[in-house]
Amino acid sequence: MITITTDPIDPAPAIDAARMPGTGAIVTFLGVVRDDGIDAMEIEAFEEVALADLREIAAAAAEKHQLNHVDIIHRIGRLFVGNPFCSSCAVRGIERRLFWAAKRSSSASRSAYPSGRRSSGKGRAPGWGRMRIPPPVPECAYTKSASHVK
Amino acid sequence: MNIRMRAFAQFGELFGTETTLEVSGPSTIPETLHRICEGSEEKRQALFDESGAIHPYIILVRNRVRVDRDELYVLRLGEGDELALLPPVAGG
Repeated sequence: MITITTDPIDPAPAIDAARMPGTGAIVTFLGVVRDDGIDAMEIEAFEEVALADLREIAAAAAEKHQLNHVDIIHRIGRLFVGNPFCSSCAVRGIERRLFWAAKRSSSASRSAYPSGRRSSGKGRAPGWGRMRIPPPVPECAYTKSASHVK
Repeated sequence: MNIRMRAFAQFGELFGTETTLEVSGPSTIPETLHRICEGSEEKRQALFDESGAIHPYIILVRNRVRVDRDELYVLRLGEGDELALLPPVAGG
């Protein structure tokens, strides 16, 4: 399953679905919203384009790491600290390098798919704050535009 | 002719999430972006650096397909085309 959703992420169904006869190992990666001085963040996606990108990422990961199956779920909308925002599930006949493959699938999806994030709260926006490039608009304008949600 | 513009995240707040831009003829992407920045230094700085080049980290999508940097001055937008602006994704 490759999906973008506004619903809370529950990796359990993906894990259950991955228990196929040829499965020897399942690794899931769950990305959660970290408190970098924020209360919440909003994630947007250009869904038609993002889904196509995610499918490419999953297919590339499956081919490169000889995976039986790859799931990627990405949540959009307003997410609070501690909320999962993405999940990937990598499935293989044997466990060798599977942790690395799951992490790579998730990291690739977060760096490659078209979306935008904004955050609200007492501190800097984590997305912009960690970028090693100048923010395209003044950070304060961006942060102030979102409501304080605590 | 009309070009449909879409903008996401803070670009949506700055330029509007969905707008229609009327142009007199086929335009390159930089020309189109200069048009939507007219009269606003904030908008110009959001899209262009001091030399007038589009910030390299901005994701541009034309008709649902990502635009490569080397296509920027080659592609021309015409009637019915859609151009989307996306800020970079960061985190980890």
